[in-house]
Amino acid sequence: MSGSLIVPLIILIPLIGAIITMFLSGSKARYAWIVSTAVAAADLVLCVFMMVVGDYAAGDYDFCASWIDTAGLKMSLIFTVDGLSILMLFLTAFLEVLVMVFSYKERDQANKFFALLLLIEVGLMGVYTAADYFLFYIMWEITLIPMYFLISWYGGPRRHYSAIKFFIYTHVASLVMLIGIFALAFEAAAVNGGVVDFSFEAIKHAAGFFDEVFQVVVFGLLFFGFLVKMPAVPFHTWLPDAHTEAPTAGSVLLAGVMLKMGSYGIIRINLEVLPLGAADWQWVLIIMGILAAVYGAYACIAQRDLKKMVAYSSISHMGLVMMAMGFLSDIGIQFAVFQMFAHGLISAMLFMVCGWAGHSVGTREIPLLGGLASKLPKFAGMMMFCFMASLGLPGLIGFWGEFGIIFGFYEFLVDENMIYLLVFSLLSLLLTAGYYLWAMQRTLFGDLTEKIDLSHVHDFNRVEMVCLCVLAAAIVAYGLWPDLALSFIDTYYLIGVI
Amino acid sequence: MFVEYVWLTVLIPLLCFVIVGALGTRIRHGGGLITVAGAACSFIIALLASYEFFTSSDYSEVGYVTESLEWFTVGFGSTSFTISIGYYLDSLSCLIMMFASFISTLIFVYSLGYMGDQGIKKRRYFAEVALFLTGMIGCVTASNMVQMFIFWEIMGLCSYLLIGFWGFGHPEAKQKASAAKKAFLVTRAGDVCLMGGMFVLFFEMGSLDYVTIFNGANLAAADPEMLALASLLIFGGAIGKSAQFPLLDWLPDAMAGPTTVSALIHAATMVKAGVYIVARCFPLFCMNSEVMLFVAIIGGVTAFFTATMAMNNFNIKKVLAYSTLSQLGYMFLALGAGGYLFALGIEEGSEELMAAGALGYTAATLHMANHAFFKACLFLGSGSVIHSTGTEDMRLMGGLGRKMPITSITMLIATLSIAGFPFFAGFWSKDLVLDVAMDAFKDAADPTCYVFILLWFLGVVTAFMTAFYMFRLWFMTFSGKARENAEHCHGESPRSMALPLVVLSVFALAFGFVLLIGYDGIFTIELVAGNWIVGGQAGEPGFHWIEHLFTNPYTYLTIVLVLVSISLAYLMYSRGSVNPGKFNKDGQSLLYRVIANRWYLPEIYDQTSWKLGYGVAKCVDYFDRNIIDGSVNGLANAVIGGGDAVSKAQDGNVHTYSAVVILGIVLLFAVAAALVIFYGVIA
Repeated sequence: MSGSLIVPLIILIPLIGAIITMFLSGSKARYAWIVSTAVAAADLVLCVFMMVVGDYAAGDYDFCASWIDTAGLKMSLIFTVDGLSILMLFLTAFLEVLVMVFSYKERDQANKFFALLLLIEVGLMGVYTAADYFLFYIMWEITLIPMYFLISWYGGPRRHYSAIKFFIYTHVASLVMLIGIFALAFEAAAVNGGVVDFSFEAIKHAAGFFDEVFQVVVFGLLFFGFLVKMPAVPFHTWLPDAHTEAPTAGSVLLAGVMLKMGSYGIIRINLEVLPLGAADWQWVLIIMGILAAVYGAYACIAQRDLKKMVAYSSISHMGLVMMAMGFLSDIGIQFAVFQMFAHGLISAMLFMVCGWAGHSVGTREIPLLGGLASKLPKFAGMMMFCFMASLGLPGLIGFWGEFGIIFGFYEFLVDENMIYLLVFSLLSLLLTAGYYLWAMQRTLFGDLTEKIDLSHVHDFNRVEMVCLCVLAAAIVAYGLWPDLALSFIDTYYLIGVI
Repeated sequence: MFVEYVWLTVLIPLLCFVIVGALGTRIRHGGGLITVAGAACSFIIALLASYEFFTSSDYSEVGYVTESLEWFTVGFGSTSFTISIGYYLDSLSCLIMMFASFISTLIFVYSLGYMGDQGIKKRRYFAEVALFLTGMIGCVTASNMVQMFIFWEIMGLCSYLLIGFWGFGHPEAKQKASAAKKAFLVTRAGDVCLMGGMFVLFFEMGSLDYVTIFNGANLAAADPEMLALASLLIFGGAIGKSAQFPLLDWLPDAMAGPTTVSALIHAATMVKAGVYIVARCFPLFCMNSEVMLFVAIIGGVTAFFTATMAMNNFNIKKVLAYSTLSQLGYMFLALGAGGYLFALGIEEGSEELMAAGALGYTAATLHMANHAFFKACLFLGSGSVIHSTGTEDMRLMGGLGRKMPITSITMLIATLSIAGFPFFAGFWSKDLVLDVAMDAFKDAADPTCYVFILLWFLGVVTAFMTAFYMFRLWFMTFSGKARENAEHCHGESPRSMALPLVVLSVFALAFGFVLLIGYDGIFTIELVAGNWIVGGQAGEPGFHWIEHLFTNPYTYLTIVLVLVSISLAYLMYSRGSVNPGKFNKDGQSLLYRVIANRWYLPEIYDQTSWKLGYGVAKCVDYFDRNIIDGSVNGLANAVIGGGDAVSKAQDGNVHTYSAVVILGIVLLFAVAAALVIFYGVIA
């Protein structure tokens, strides 16, 4: 065992917190919120500490302990932090705290609810730091279970269908991924002196000896596992269903950080370890990305449910990430990560606002709403802000994500001599503006709706406003000063590694 | 010393936005006075900085002054793209900065009266207009295109918010919200083009700093085809923002906003941003004469068609909106014709053609400033009228001249100015524009030059129509008998509304005389030894062009046409001795109906955008629900075997769920085995 204990702590603290919270049932349930929020806040403090103090990029926070170490098999508990993972860690911890605070009104079996949220954090933190394939897989699966229960216990009317759909889709995908992982480990064993070592380091060391056919096949297996999680068209239909049924907190975490596991995995494993495979799969990534971006945006226009629309917009925006990864260039990776981060913040706010509408106004059906701006000015302001952020208004974080990706796309197309393809990415920008503006027009503006009873509806209260304002402030701050995020990403030179 | 602080002109309105937005409800007038003070400060700094810029030889000899800080870097290594933030000042940005902040100040003062009865909504209004001013000044003083684009979009946002100012809690909320959405989306279509153009330009020039991209040597070294593509895409952004054909339909609808907003954003300032960007990129556009020809054609055609739309409209604001479009068309015509000559001059190495082309630049900038003054005056005047009569329909007005003397006189001055009555501001610039179009026909030895005789002709007809519909507006509103709403009009508006009108009318009357004090020596563009210089050198005095103007027979032709047109409007709408119904079969003639329906453009747009947007979306949605999800659910049913997967899953049956998982695992191992065999075969 060696290295810093901070990362294991980041994973253990929410785990212990979840166990404690779980026992706060019955009359003690009101403490569940306090305990879990405090635990999440402690995690956030540790994350910020790693970002600010010490040199995470030089391995100051790496941790290594052997777990199973026999003559033929080696699985270790290795956690590392680098420029790619640190932003995701921060995003997870940040959103966890906000989500806890935002759901302070949860009364129905609050102990389980908050324990599940903390368990999701355990898995996510593990996924973003694990440096051993088996550990990575375990952590990946850990995120799945609490999310399944969160949807199926706390969700809307069709929650069981959605939860099981979510579970089957992602589980099947992760099994395919597992096959890919085994293939990597066993192939690497030949190079590593016959020891099946699952650590990232060992496999990366052997990766130089993998031939192209192997790389292409294994890339495909792993890629399938990750793209369902992202999700990419046509494996995306679990997402809108899961989002419409999930409680607000679940949606925020699902869109904000869980989808990023997919793109994180593609960068961390597919692109880092299998460069030859990546070169052959490049156009698949780009075409699937464009397809998801345009298809998702079109699907948004037709949606009647606010949350479902936002779910499709997530598909569209993650499509941009997929496309950016496909450029296989520095700028592509840089902005794929940036867009992941940006989308994490923005979609969290989107789901908070739209989820709140379902709770407090009573419906998320766009045709039933209308003219809410005169009745709920704070809600209108926040909704307008996050919609504008998501459609890429300059000065907010979303703009730089799109700007960088389209810039990288153009760079890629110049080399390929087919710049006319840029039209698709510009089209997706235009469509994005279209569905958001149309949705705002129908929900916030026009005559105050008479189809639903608004007499008992109150605007955001102070706690909810604080959460949303913190998110909004982050969106503005990163928009005005993108280096706050880019400086972390810049320490991760992927293409240099290849 | 003031030039270095020019960024304050952007920062002060931004600060006003923050203060008013945060505290507006607790301050008197909803923070109106703060906004006025902020705009005034901005104006004073802009004035001082411009004065220093024009007088100090440190700046005026180089033609520009720029300073920027590195903001952040996109990408690494060879294609890294450093985005900086800073200011770039030349005579063009000085001009717009000055008139934008000046007119804003006046309009904010006017708003104190006009929006006085809006209660709590005033905070939102004043915060948004302050943010708009930030966007406008930021756009014209930015040191590179990315920064310009950011402010450009902020203006678009403010335009959206202010058009939709009454988008809720108002009897006509629905239509106003729809107008706001349309404005944002149509301009957004232009904006994505502009964004594409920026990328094309970046990869050609390696930078988007004005200093680098407008360097003559860099431009000459770049691939001309890519430069032409970049110019066209950038022009796409200009078309959207300045509402030129074919993206013109949003501007008439944008009149749904408060009249002050129409005056400020949709007449005096924001819609000029498109003209600004073409003028700013003049060196780039001049790399290709056909691009400039295209600009001229779009400008000329828009000027003509939108003028026809104003001929038979009865909504006072809509008439002004169409005339805005038409005048913007003139500016693009001037830039296009001038740039065309300039481009040919570069090709042939002819100094004379280049000098003739520079006149187009001068004419466009002068018309831009003049139009800002007279159109702001007209809109504010119409705002006064609407305020006191409670209607926008000119058929319900009439005879207001006696009840509202200040408004009627100031509006008369502005009307004379836009009509091009001799020696009023509009006369100078409009005739210069037509002059340039004529020059482009006469001087260019290129077969495409015949287009310009047509554009000149359209321009002259437009001048005739402009004088007619503007005087129709004035006579219908202020002269003759008082009709319905005019009878119980409240009389002249308060002083805060009258003062800006008077000030603006003075400028609408006299701003053209700047030609006499060397305007065209400062606001011109030259290519000296491979370097583009935008004015700055107070070179030859302005008499050269004035002489040109008055020795030109075509000038007299337009003067005669304008006079004829004014008398015609007088006979029809003031004395009533000629019945306008005679010419259009009482509104039944085909042409009349086509024009009244805006040449059916809105319908074409609505139909196509609805089909391309919502139609495709419906198809995608159907595909998503039935094909993708349908096959997934079908597969699930098949796997579980006859049973309904959904209903079984819904009872939370653990057996079903574990069966699915186990089946999945079995299937996967089968797949894995197949892959291993497959891989073994290949290896």
